[in-house]
Amino acid sequence: MMFTSPLGLLALLAIPAIIAIHLFRRRFPPRPVAGLFLWQIARQTPEGGGKISKLPITASLILECLTALALALILAGARIRPAGISEHLVALLDDSASMSASSSAGNSQGESPRARAVRRVLAEIDRLGSNARVTLVLSGERPSVLLGPAARAIEARPALEKWKPEAPHHSFALGLRLARELAGRSGRLMALSDSPPELAGGGKATPEVEGVVWVAVGEPLNNVGITAAQRTISPQDGKGAVSLTLANFADSPAHRRLTLKAGDQELSARDIELAPGTSSVNLPLPTGLPAVRIALSEDALQRDNEVVLVEPRLQEVAIENHLPDGRGRQALSKALGVLSGVTAAAHGHLAFVPAAELDRPASPGVWRVGFGRGSSTLTAPGEPQDFIGPFVPEKRDPLMEGVTLSGVVWTGASPLAAGVHPLVSAGDRPLIVLLGPRPESGILFNLDLERTNLVRAPDWPILISNLVEMRRQSLPGPERWNYRVGEWVRVRLGRDPKGPLRFRCGEIERTLPAG
Amino acid sequence: MKPRIDWPAAQTVAGAFRLALPRAPIGGRLGERLGSGTGSSLEFQEYRPYTPGDDLRHVDWAAYARSEVLAVRLYREEVAPRIDLVFDVSRSMTVTGEKSSAYGELAALLACASASAEANARVITCPGEPHPLFRPEEIERLLDCDAKISALEESRVPFRRGSLRVVVSDFLFPHDADALVGRLSRGGAWLSIVQLTLREESEPTVEGGRRLIDVEGRGELDLLIDEKAVEDYRARFSRLRRGLSVAARRAGANFAHVVAGTPMRQVARALAAAGVLEPL
Repeated sequence: MMFTSPLGLLALLAIPAIIAIHLFRRRFPPRPVAGLFLWQIARQTPEGGGKISKLPITASLILECLTALALALILAGARIRPAGISEHLVALLDDSASMSASSSAGNSQGESPRARAVRRVLAEIDRLGSNARVTLVLSGERPSVLLGPAARAIEARPALEKWKPEAPHHSFALGLRLARELAGRSGRLMALSDSPPELAGGGKATPEVEGVVWVAVGEPLNNVGITAAQRTISPQDGKGAVSLTLANFADSPAHRRLTLKAGDQELSARDIELAPGTSSVNLPLPTGLPAVRIALSEDALQRDNEVVLVEPRLQEVAIENHLPDGRGRQALSKALGVLSGVTAAAHGHLAFVPAAELDRPASPGVWRVGFGRGSSTLTAPGEPQDFIGPFVPEKRDPLMEGVTLSGVVWTGASPLAAGVHPLVSAGDRPLIVLLGPRPESGILFNLDLERTNLVRAPDWPILISNLVEMRRQSLPGPERWNYRVGEWVRVRLGRDPKGPLRFRCGEIERTLPAG
Repeated sequence: MKPRIDWPAAQTVAGAFRLALPRAPIGGRLGERLGSGTGSSLEFQEYRPYTPGDDLRHVDWAAYARSEVLAVRLYREEVAPRIDLVFDVSRSMTVTGEKSSAYGELAALLACASASAEANARVITCPGEPHPLFRPEEIERLLDCDAKISALEESRVPFRRGSLRVVVSDFLFPHDADALVGRLSRGGAWLSIVQLTLREESEPTVEGGRRLIDVEGRGELDLLIDEKAVEDYRARFSRLRRGLSVAARRAGANFAHVVAGTPMRQVARALAAAGVLEPL
């Protein structure tokens, strides 16, 4: 018998208490009699007081003791463990996609590591007997429990039949940690992977795998896979292209046939030779095509032989340039001109304005970037100053990504009123600030564009590009257009949805939960 | 605790019975019963030669005429028998209301029957001075059952020599039946023993766990009254009753067992059947 909460056995103390009560307490209803001597052979004297008499074994005593025993067993979480069965098997299954690899060329005769792992787990369960308890843990990107904890052995086979290892990444260390917690002190821990412990454990064989029965079910197979894929449209000439990163995991060069299909139409097919290791392939692709299926010829692992890429739709950022004619306006136009996905518009997403106009209410959906001396509400008393450094940038802000301000002479920086959020400062003088907690509130470049050398520095196009990309990232739509299996898809909505959102992928359509 | 007595009912039943006295001549004061000695009754007993001082009225002059010998006619004496009614006034006699009522009825019946016998009756409840019983109703004030011990358990019971004795008790105290009956009958002319018990005292049933408390302070006992305990009790009670019966038979006494709750008329008939009472 097992006890999940042995402290509950303290309730057994109630049994001697009950017996003591029955011994000392007058529990029988009194009955006056005329001749007590007829009821007994040896007469008892009443003067003893507190004398322990023979314990009367009554139904009440038996029931009370049984009740106390049952309560103690319930509190202790007693579980009946039949004789000879003492094992709790916790099997950690490698859930990476490589467990599905199979090849008729190897020793396994087409049997995948997954099939061997299933067979090994079932054999272990058969050895432990039908009363054994089984817990199956999957080592995905985040470990999960496939069966259990401590499920019956008969439930293991259906659960294993449903198991399809397909995770692109997995963390065996996290899986081992979860499996150890579920196994406790009495469980038998078994890890099944297609890698040996030193590889599956990230090169650390000990102590992560101590006390673990490691079953390596893999075998070396030649495999070529697509490890990364990207479909792009060149902003300059508008031509499409597909960039593939291919990995040859064999020790010798491999020959594969690479096929591109759009629907049923084969766009191209070419034979490629891949050296051991990683190599890249770039393929031109006409624009305007629907989803393209790119496949390598068959090998041990089918799952990494194929990708489907949709054509990305670049988010256009409409720009309003209201800067006065001059050196600054020209520099801004020049920087915007080299950016892709940018269009000039009267009512755009991003407006470059003189700093004095930042006081006026902004149109909805327009981010305003002001240059120059701000209005009196933004500035504090004091004369503008020039700075050659040192500059203290807020590195975590995306606007400052890649910006060094090396060799920049920052001119015309006026003292600013309190309440702004500095992104770049020189001494105690803010140079680039957010007027509110978010960029939508306005961005002020406390800068005289006519005198500074920033517009000729490499940081200028970087700043303008960062501003445009920040605005582009905030536009409604998905962050990217192609994702890995299992990757989160983040979509920004232009406004709060009025009804439930629906997800559709091919024939699959689901209603997303609210919130 | 004094038993409550329904006197009209008791007198109705007792009107048909009287105490059964022995056929053999008995002793006693002047009365209406033929005594064992010579007296002034009308029943001729024998002749004896005249001696000076004899009552000349008893000289049989006709016999003197025939034989010229003065002879005196002797007649049987008429006596009033002495009756000692012994009532157990220990607490056990009123252990329940039913037993108390039955005891009162039985005592009233015997008191009335004694009165019907034209006897010189006394009531003995304790080793002290007996109480003369002139009227049956006087028995009621004497039956104060609050004693911790029965008078029968005392070594000396103030019987009168040659008295007719009626002893009423439940006899539920440890005793040697032969010794007890011998002590009760010694020096007496006649003895009747009436044992009064409750039904549950003579034939207990299974009751489960009980704390038995002796009303006379002889102890307490937690006992599971199951089949085995009941069987043992019945065997012991049966031995006690059979011992009394056998001892009474050996001593020439009458023995009757009365179960409380029995109607008074049936009790009277049972006592008559046992020779304690006789119908008028």
